[in-house]
Amino acid sequence: MKTIATRALLIGLPLTMLTLSCKKNNDNNANGFESLKTDVLADISANVCTNSYQDLYARTQELSDAVTALNTATNDANLATARTKWKAIRVTWEQSEGWLFGPVEANSIDPRIDTWPVDFNALETILKNSDALTESYVDGLDESLKGFHPIEYLLWGQAGAKTAAQFTTREKQYLVALTQNLLKLTKEVRDVWTTGGYQTQLAKAGSGSTEFTSQQAAYVQIVTAMADICGEVADSKLKEPFDAQDPSLEESPFAKNSIIDFTNNINGILDIYQGRFNSSDGKGLEDLVRANNLSLDAEIKSKHAAAIAALAAIDVPFGQAITTQQSKIQNAMTKINELHSVLEDKLNAYVLQYVK
Amino acid sequence: MKKTTIAILVILTAVIVVQFSCRKTDNIPASGNPDSEWLSGGSETAFDQGSGSFSHAFSSLSAHLLRVHEIGDGQFGATFVSAPAPVNPGLGPIFNNVSCSSCHVSDGRGKIPGIGESAANMLFRLSIPGVGEHGNPVPVPGYGDQLQTRSLLNVTREGDVNITYTDNTYYFADGEAYQLRTPAYALTGLYTTMPANVLLSPRVAAPVFGLGLLEAVSDASILASADPDDKDGDGISGKPNYVWDILNQKSVLGRFGWKANQPTLLQQVAAAYNGDIGITNFLFPKESSQGQTQFDSAPNSKSYELADSLLYSVQFYVRTLQVPVRRNVTAPMVVQGKALFIKAGCDKCHKLDLRTDVDVSFPSVSNQLIHPFTDLLLHDMGPGLADNRPDFLASGSEWRTAPLWGIGLTQKVNNHTNFLHDGRARNLMEAIMWHGGEALSSKVKVSHFTKTEREAILAYLNSL
Repeated sequence: MKTIATRALLIGLPLTMLTLSCKKNNDNNANGFESLKTDVLADISANVCTNSYQDLYARTQELSDAVTALNTATNDANLATARTKWKAIRVTWEQSEGWLFGPVEANSIDPRIDTWPVDFNALETILKNSDALTESYVDGLDESLKGFHPIEYLLWGQAGAKTAAQFTTREKQYLVALTQNLLKLTKEVRDVWTTGGYQTQLAKAGSGSTEFTSQQAAYVQIVTAMADICGEVADSKLKEPFDAQDPSLEESPFAKNSIIDFTNNINGILDIYQGRFNSSDGKGLEDLVRANNLSLDAEIKSKHAAAIAALAAIDVPFGQAITTQQSKIQNAMTKINELHSVLEDKLNAYVLQYVK
Repeated sequence: MKKTTIAILVILTAVIVVQFSCRKTDNIPASGNPDSEWLSGGSETAFDQGSGSFSHAFSSLSAHLLRVHEIGDGQFGATFVSAPAPVNPGLGPIFNNVSCSSCHVSDGRGKIPGIGESAANMLFRLSIPGVGEHGNPVPVPGYGDQLQTRSLLNVTREGDVNITYTDNTYYFADGEAYQLRTPAYALTGLYTTMPANVLLSPRVAAPVFGLGLLEAVSDASILASADPDDKDGDGISGKPNYVWDILNQKSVLGRFGWKANQPTLLQQVAAAYNGDIGITNFLFPKESSQGQTQFDSAPNSKSYELADSLLYSVQFYVRTLQVPVRRNVTAPMVVQGKALFIKAGCDKCHKLDLRTDVDVSFPSVSNQLIHPFTDLLLHDMGPGLADNRPDFLASGSEWRTAPLWGIGLTQKVNNHTNFLHDGRARNLMEAIMWHGGEALSSKVKVSHFTKTEREAILAYLNSL
């Protein structure tokens, strides 16, 4: 009798557990969780993604104004302002690389504004020739001659120590045309998200969206982009110059802005996870995760904080740190890779389980 | 003992039944069954249906090989600039684009230029009539075998192509109209005289995922479905192309490219670096511009521009990209579409199943049942699609059956639905209706389908 009872228990227990694990899904089909999935997508697409591209355009407008001022009155104060405005755009852009999907990829905006390296020879050729440096001229140039990094090069100079007095007329004309081109492209990506309706495509995933035929597809896209930027920073932006011990492979070398760029890349992950960007704050993935798995939420946040802390510990410019602070760079890569694993394995599994 | 066994069996059965009842509603099934129809790439199928779904590394790679893949990934996206430069020097002097990924955007399909735009993401093969020493097309004096539409500043590009389209209206059997646009290509702005008898073939950048699996299909498996003289009388030939393998200095079966004119991924990658970006490498150590006025002998005259290790890493990268998972396989419309696909005979060339060869040296691609929807053979596609430019054994009207896996994700990944070798088809139905030659009877069958049936066949294609 006793053995039979044990067997019955053995049979009964897994059945009960499995039934429960099945049932869990059904419990979550309660209206609250269902509407939460829709709310999170709506908030992420409006407050985070669209907002970031509106902000990117607004900040580019500010850079454009600063460059116009620099062109009119070429002094060190105006140069300093233009540099500050360039760095301010980069804060937004690097964060937005945490959601590098949709129009910015498909319409090839990214390569046209953020191509690295700069083609120095061609750039010098342009500065020496007599082509009219208009916006449309810049628009027709190769990717390595337009966007953030040629602007950076002109503002800082190769060694990062350029003064206003060193600017030539041609350099100023090129700079003006470059910022106008950047303004046009950042407007384009903003418009595709707003008037072009991509924001709605993402928000209405699974209910009429042609881009995302299920909510699961939209969530997987978001989580994939979050994981991808970890890989990009740890395996490429940090690792390649580090492995080669070659500071010339660094991404923003003239402004010595690389560590700030990497930090903002990683910050973008928390932006979209928490559904907040600058001052706008709505529902994010965290609300979805916290509904069923508090420990996963805590793990993501602690891994994220550890990655940011590891980057913050690097206290000299990146090009220098690859030779003088190697253990700190290694630690940053390790911590970002750990965050990568949590996002790619656990968060992805979570959305596959709970969102259909 | 026996009772225990029975008890365990009961438990197992219960577990299985319950798990199945749990799974029923999932969009994507568990990857437990490697032979599942869902898994287009066998065990190397990517469970992603988003805009990055063509870009997943094989899941079975060791940490070491994954790093090689990542280095290749970085190199695939690397933008080349003019030499000398600290990063990625050597672009041009004449070229079609600055990086692999600027044509193969997100590892996918190239976008064709709009009216009046320069031909950025497609290229034009050139030759003059005749056959070269290895059976190859004869390069055009002063131009080589492709038109480079871009150049470094202060260097003259070879020329450009003006594309125009003529629209014609046709009708399905039920009376519904559809339009097909016929492209016409005019060479413009040529830097020097072009022979009047030049042969021109437009080629759109093709997706690069799943190629390692296609490379792992044995020659024997491909040749098993070859029937160049149509001895079985089904109207379908299936002709192998034999092309020149530069590394091994011999003629071998071609399997990559729109006309199966490349034998291996290594040669495909090396040729593209050389011809498309102007980056010399050990397989193609001479600049494509050598012998032309654009050639500058001063830089890089001693060695080639791309390190062997980087060339191999890019080869490894395209060899180890997963194939995206099917969607909605069991949806009634998709099931109906599959039956119609077979009824129309599409599967005679777009083969549903292939099996890769056993490869103990690289288990990731070994002995996999895959669903690329190609036989990797050449077929006569009729005069409508002909480029009239022979390429090794491929005649002017023969094309390699294009793989269809992942085709339903083109809009999402590449934001367009332009298909066929020159992107003339604006959607999948147009692509079907362009089929001629050996595929004519299939096309006619589709044109006699009802509207619902046509929608079903599209639903099927979009699920691939």
